[in-house]
Amino acid sequence: MHSLYKYAIVYFLLFSLLLLGSSFLLFEHKIGFSQLEVLNYYLGNEESFMIAKTPLGLLKIILPHIFAFGLFMMVILHFLVFTNKRNSSEVLFIIYAAFIAAFLELFSPFLILGGIWIFAYVKIASFFAMLGVSLYVSYLLFISIVKE
Amino acid sequence: MMKPILSGLLIFMFLYIVADIFVKQQTIGLSSSEVSLTLFGNTEEFLDPISKAVFLETLHAEVFFLMMILLMLSAVFIRLRAKKRFSITLLNITMTSALLALLSLALAYFFSASFINLYVVTFFLWHCGALLMSALSLWSLYRA
Repeated sequence: MHSLYKYAIVYFLLFSLLLLGSSFLLFEHKIGFSQLEVLNYYLGNEESFMIAKTPLGLLKIILPHIFAFGLFMMVILHFLVFTNKRNSSEVLFIIYAAFIAAFLELFSPFLILGGIWIFAYVKIASFFAMLGVSLYVSYLLFISIVKE
Repeated sequence: MMKPILSGLLIFMFLYIVADIFVKQQTIGLSSSEVSLTLFGNTEEFLDPISKAVFLETLHAEVFFLMMILLMLSAVFIRLRAKKRFSITLLNITMTSALLALLSLALAYFFSASFINLYVVTFFLWHCGALLMSALSLWSLYRA
């Protein structure tokens, strides 16, 4: 790898941290991290004047995120080719975990609207799984760049 | 075959960066006073401050677009101008100022309005840097 590409990757990782940080703040502010808050956000709450989400409203929210999640995961995960773990089963696990977590994070709200309230936990868990995987991949890349 | 494809990409990036300046002029503002008015409002002029939810959504989307645009631009720039020492400096200035612009905007909103000046300076710095990177890449593409 050309040394200048390392700069580009390190900057991308720093931007990724900002992206993950802002997504954490946004989730905490708009939804909340407890099961009740997630249910209130999607199913509405008269006492808090929160309106229930409709399937179409949800689709409008997740539409840009489907593209953005896919693109972000592809970009950050493909950098793993430059690490010494590129052929390991760990990387394969990380790739599957990242895309499955992203899928659940996006589509679990539809099941909450469908009345399966346990998916409020899935929504929270998949959000943290996505954050965790992205941070771990960033760590692997950063260590690999520093060691090279 | 790659020459027209890269040219198209670079021209579109150049246009995006120019258009971003005009959009920011109409939304957040380009001067310290305009940005301050957008973030904190003005009771005398009956202007409401930007809500936390809207601010976070704007920042979140801005980070995503910026990281993708600058990653692609830097990849093309490095491919075409890797041998120039000036390229490293320009790349570092552009990327660092873009990061600082986003950080200082968040710090201005959540901690202190004094970060607005840093935001304005770094905003123009990264736009100028990115425009120069696009222009130099195009120059290298056609000179080669």
